[in-house]
Amino acid sequence: MADAALTSLLAEDSIRLDAVASDRFDAVRQCGAALVAAGAVDESYVDAMIQRENTVSTFVGEGVAIPHGTLAGKESVKRDALVVLRFPDGVDWDGNAVSVCVGIAAAGGGHIALLSQLAEILLDPDKAEQLRNATSAEQVYTLLTPDEDDD
Amino acid sequence: MPERTVSIASSVGLHARPASLFSQAAAKAGVPVTLTTKAGKSVNAASILGILSLGIGHGEEVTLSADGDGADAALDSLVELLSTDLDKE
Repeated sequence: MADAALTSLLAEDSIRLDAVASDRFDAVRQCGAALVAAGAVDESYVDAMIQRENTVSTFVGEGVAIPHGTLAGKESVKRDALVVLRFPDGVDWDGNAVSVCVGIAAAGGGHIALLSQLAEILLDPDKAEQLRNATSAEQVYTLLTPDEDDD
Repeated sequence: MPERTVSIASSVGLHARPASLFSQAAAKAGVPVTLTTKAGKSVNAASILGILSLGIGHGEEVTLSADGDGADAALDSLVELLSTDLDKE
């Protein structure tokens, strides 16, 4: 598979394990700020992320949300990137509890492959739980690395 | 079992927003709906993670199937949803 590995898009300082947000829009803004800090997007992408969240929740289940921009926001993407923000106290996401946000910046069609890889991981309830409870960046990397062998 | 085959109209494929709207509609369908790709992978249509994991692109064909009371009507409305470009802002 030629898909870019999730971990190659995630810088170590783009993993925050003890974030606190007052509500889901605050959490989305923090994901956006982390993408800006990573040099992946312009400030305007953050607005596109808020807009997307307003139209439809990016909650995907398993205590995870995947904030990302609208199609219109793609011009503000400089390079594809991921950020992982963990909210140990949880964030109320329109009635669902979210403890991990995976913020996504993707300019082209890379989006679908990225989401597919991420969803594959989260469909494994054990992995999803480990991600919710991760206490080190290393654990996050390990979880996002596709299984190469069968152990 | 009633089933319908439809190709994905959303220009970006069946990912975040279209996938979310579709799985919400499937969850409200009243009958369990299964989505199967051309490659033969099946998921519960109401599971957004299941849908996302398939990475379905624009124009790809999928088959929806359901059984039970109202299955035909549920499939018709879900097919209509997939035949619409759900990513229009």
